[in-house]
Amino acid sequence: MSVTVSLFQPQLALHIPDGFLSLPIILVTWILAIALIAICLQRVQATYQERAVPLMGVCAAFIFAAQMINFPIPGGTSGHLLGGTLAGVLLGPWAGSLVMAVVFIVQSVLFQDGGLTVLGANIVNMGLIGTFGGYYLYRSIRYALGRDSLRSVLIGAAIAAWTSVFVSSIVCAFQLAFSGTVPLNVAISAMAFWHFMIAIGEAVITVVAVSYIWRTRPDLMYHPPRHAVADTSRSYSSR
Amino acid sequence: MLLHLGAVLLATESQTNTIWTRLTARSRLLCTLLIVFATALTPNGRWWTWAVYAISIALLILISRVPLLPLLKRVAVELVFVGVVLIGTLFRQGGDVLFQWGWIQITTEGVTVLGSVTLKAFLSLLTVNVLILTTSITALLHALAELRTPPLLVAIFSSMYRYINVLVDEFNSMQRAARSRNLMSDPRRQRTVIGNMIGSLFIRTYERGDRVHQAMLARGYSGLPPVAKMPQPSRLDVALLTLTIVILLIGQAIYL
Repeated sequence: MSVTVSLFQPQLALHIPDGFLSLPIILVTWILAIALIAICLQRVQATYQERAVPLMGVCAAFIFAAQMINFPIPGGTSGHLLGGTLAGVLLGPWAGSLVMAVVFIVQSVLFQDGGLTVLGANIVNMGLIGTFGGYYLYRSIRYALGRDSLRSVLIGAAIAAWTSVFVSSIVCAFQLAFSGTVPLNVAISAMAFWHFMIAIGEAVITVVAVSYIWRTRPDLMYHPPRHAVADTSRSYSSR
Repeated sequence: MLLHLGAVLLATESQTNTIWTRLTARSRLLCTLLIVFATALTPNGRWWTWAVYAISIALLILISRVPLLPLLKRVAVELVFVGVVLIGTLFRQGGDVLFQWGWIQITTEGVTVLGSVTLKAFLSLLTVNVLILTTSITALLHALAELRTPPLLVAIFSSMYRYINVLVDEFNSMQRAARSRNLMSDPRRQRTVIGNMIGSLFIRTYERGDRVHQAMLARGYSGLPPVAKMPQPSRLDVALLTLTIVILLIGQAIYL
């Protein structure tokens, strides 16, 4: 258990506990989060139909497992993947946000990683801003640089991953400050400093993972490159 | 390695026959939600309200006969976050200055915020953990379904819950394989290896999803899994829910 680490144990910083946010912030973020989940459920149901349950289930478990791996981040500590942009790049904005929301709900209820009342805020920060925002940033960069080249995909993924983590940490700092829990300057400097580094780690891992998938199974990506669509899908895993 | 694991094992039904476990899972979930929301939404500085809530949560812990050690272990995890607020109190203006050292000062307002927020987080964590340690996951999922959560969402939860351990195991075995080939010694290399692992795990995951879907179809699956009949709420459920609401309202009424 990593309880003994520094006060700023970076990976906890985006999972706000109960009692840290005030009523107005909680109300607004819950409404946003519920709307997001409702729309996502509809879109996912329409896209995947009866494949939705098994596919979303295993993908949520995948993000959950991926978040558990610690890797060294620049600056000396270790961090873990948040996975918002990765989910957006691989599954698309709707399924990606849904998967992230499911992961946060399960983490909060079963593992107390983030409180129940602030679930809305956590979903907005990482699902809406992280996945949705990250996905559209990635897509516009990718399409601007050339849809079917690995380079543009990776540049898009890197910038989107970094920005999404950094921006959601800033939004989180604002939420804490508006709730009167932490003064704004302290919240922003503490959050921005650590998440500047964490976001670099997130970008590196996202880029490596996406390029691995691009080279082995490009047809699994949300916007597969045109040359991959023609190929029939091949299985690389035996299990 | 992580806060998440370990907990999976605890999340089983451990308790025998107590008043709390005789309630339906739905009532238990509702009680927990009510208490947590009431605790967390009380404005800072209302100590007597939390005193009332703390007593009722203590009673809840007593009557549910939750094992205390696991309970406290799980609560300790999240309190790390309180550190951020602790730093915040050092720089906060307002109220009387209690202590000053250079430009760092501790004010009464800072102490109030720190105390309130810590207390709220602590009480909420206790309550949620009582629920999790006494209620099985399947019962919770049924309770969610009964509370009108979209069935698709509940089905995704249950399928995710089923595969968490599978994927975590797979990840651990990949990590072990990488370590035994000496790939994890250099931090720069390590990031590449982990990135590749995540990529390859996604491919395996996606294919597993397809296989699971095929298997479900082969067993006659047609969109949503069937929902079992759950025990109906009794008079005890109604009584305890009312009692919870009354206590919560009394707590709030102190400051009216």
